[in-house]
Amino acid sequence: MLSIQDLHARVDERPILNGLSLDVNPGEVHAIMGPNGSGKSTLANVLAGRDGYEVTSGSVTYVGKDLLDMAPEERAREGVFLAFQYPVEIPGVNNAYLLKAALNAVRTHRGEAELDAFEFLAVVKEKMGLMHMDESFLNRGVNEGFSGGEKKRNEILQMAVLEPRLAVLDETDSGLDIDALKVVAAGVNSLRSPDRAIILVTHYQRLLDYIEPDFVHVLSGGKIVRTGDKTLALELEERGYDWVQEAANA
Amino acid sequence: MSSAIQKSKRPGRREAALDAFSAAWSDLGAGNDAATALRRAGFEAFTGTGLPTTRDEAWKYTSLRKLARHAFRPAGPAEAPSPKQVAAVSVDGLDAACIVFLNGRLEPGLSDLTNMDGIIARPMASYLDDHESSDAHPIGTVAAIGQHPFVALNQAFLRDGIVIRTVPGRAHDRSVYLLFLSVPGGEPVAAHPRVFVDATDGSQLTVVEHYVGFGNTANLTNAVTEISLGPAARVDHYRLQEETANTFHIGGLHAKLLRDAQLATHNVHLGGTLARLDIGIHLLDSGAETVMNGLYCVDGRRHVDNQTRVDHFAPHTLSNEVYRGIVGDHGRAVFNGKAIVHPDAQKIEAHQSNDNLLLSPEAEIDTKPELEIYADDVKCSHGATVGQLDADALFYLLSRGIAPDIAHDLLTFAFAEIVAKRMPLAAFRRRLERHLAGVLADDRLIQENLGAER
Ligand SMILES: Nc1ncnc2c1ncn2[C@@H]1O[C@H](COP(=O)(O)OP(=O)(O)OP(=O)(O)O)[C@@H](O)[C@H]1O
Ligand SMILES: [Mg+2]
Repeated sequence: MLSIQDLHARVDERPILNGLSLDVNPGEVHAIMGPNGSGKSTLANVLAGRDGYEVTSGSVTYVGKDLLDMAPEERAREGVFLAFQYPVEIPGVNNAYLLKAALNAVRTHRGEAELDAFEFLAVVKEKMGLMHMDESFLNRGVNEGFSGGEKKRNEILQMAVLEPRLAVLDETDSGLDIDALKVVAAGVNSLRSPDRAIILVTHYQRLLDYIEPDFVHVLSGGKIVRTGDKTLALELEERGYDWVQEAANA
Repeated sequence: MSSAIQKSKRPGRREAALDAFSAAWSDLGAGNDAATALRRAGFEAFTGTGLPTTRDEAWKYTSLRKLARHAFRPAGPAEAPSPKQVAAVSVDGLDAACIVFLNGRLEPGLSDLTNMDGIIARPMASYLDDHESSDAHPIGTVAAIGQHPFVALNQAFLRDGIVIRTVPGRAHDRSVYLLFLSVPGGEPVAAHPRVFVDATDGSQLTVVEHYVGFGNTANLTNAVTEISLGPAARVDHYRLQEETANTFHIGGLHAKLLRDAQLATHNVHLGGTLARLDIGIHLLDSGAETVMNGLYCVDGRRHVDNQTRVDHFAPHTLSNEVYRGIVGDHGRAVFNGKAIVHPDAQKIEAHQSNDNLLLSPEAEIDTKPELEIYADDVKCSHGATVGQLDADALFYLLSRGIAPDIAHDLLTFAFAEIVAKRMPLAAFRRRLERHLAGVLADDRLIQENLGAER
């Protein structure tokens, strides 16, 4: 589904990704861990197509297409979803409006009919129930005044509504209390299916207790330096990153 | 009266507009009545200064050169638009007594002065006819001719407009909707309507002033509104400026507030080639409060200038101003907001903000919030910003599949919505939001949510 080959990217002239390669197949869950500043969010942003992230070499193929050639909104319509590490507040843009516009953009792209207000509300209310979110959030500005945890939950709500093929969750677990973590994990798990793939960026093994990954990767210095199964996360929790980096440098 | 102004009037550089004003004024005729005295004082004050130039501090960023080239004729009888045409431009869904003015003159055929909930509403001309001396009526006591040449000019032609008086102690549920239509009169026409609102003790009233044009003549609207608020009176004043693309729009909104009076002004500029509004509010007694909301959208080669001034004369007074502007193309916007805290005006609050969205590199914004404080126990804040659409927010929307042009419009809308939602009159806000939503407007959900009461 996603094939990243020897990806080099820079921000403000500064190289951040230095030969990153990663293959993700449908149905798989990949966890990416790594020290602060190692390039995890940069990877997520490059995949989503943010301005200012310059790919200097390498390739990214998504369902057989050149992902890097697509505008951000095309990627989203093709089923790529990024749950932001720091979701932005957009006062004045109604949460419901954004959700509906986003869903209909995706549906139109897939050749499906747009949902009217009633059909849309039915879909959204069901997903909000799943996320234990009060319906009053619909009529607030996008993330406006949301607590840290509520913002993360709202990201997963959007994901649940849009049903992407490839979801990249950038530290969605950070800042969540135990109950919220379970709710978010349930939201993610409900989306797991043989034709979807999920990339989880996280610092904590705890999340992986709830969302079991098929692979765990360590990103360091802008490339993946080690790949293992879920036991690697436990080992990292115990021993930190130094030994991985040392092993990689050796 | 600065020497700069005198210079601009030296022989050989007389402006067509000035000549036309003088000629029209001479044609007015004179009597011994109060109106004549006011008109004379207005004319003398105006000819003493002439049209302001950019050498005047208050007009530094707004040139009247284009306006001065037009020989505006006095507004004569004009062909009235049909009720259907009027309905098409009016604000929908207002529960209001609608009073229509054609080039400044009250048009009885299109107005409804019957169902006014006890409010006294009288055409300015007949009101003035009933008063022989200017001591007997308050016209001209709130808007000062000395500081504002266009107030003087308006007073020089004092005749059109309306006087409104509320019922003491009554909260009038029904609004008063003053619809000013600028209609073609062959040559450019000047209208000088004057509105006087006498908000008596403890009464409450919502007034909506709406300036709209037909056709594309280069008319001048020079409107002055005076609002006098008695103790504990409350006025919500809405002003929607939607003149046609060639119209010059100059306005003054002046108010005096006594003890515990409240005035909210909601000032929206969407039209005109050149628009300028001076707002002057005097908080004369403790407990007086004013909220000032403003929004201007400036595109094409249009120019919009807002000058607001609040004088805190008494302790325990409050002013809160939020102005936002969206300026694109070759548009130019000017904002100057002054709050003056006079000596002894302790324990006051004065807050002010002006934020601008600059949508094109050719657009220009000059913003200057000013605080002058002569008391020591006060809470004041002010700030001005000029910025572009937030790149993070834009990317967030794109990453959800929203098309770039929609994302752009949505964020522009959101920027304006911060002010729009401070305007409680639902029908007015809806009208504004529809305008702002533009391409987004046909989506039912946005309208339903936007239209809902907040
Ligand atoms: N816009 C930018 N300008 C300059 N440097 C940037 C920019 N964005 C990211 N960087 C730098 O790139 C490096 C990688 O950042 P990135 O956000 O990808 O790290 P991360 O692995 O997600 O870290 P964390 O675990 O703290 O979220 C950091 O050193 C960061 O300072
Ligand atoms: Mg990060």
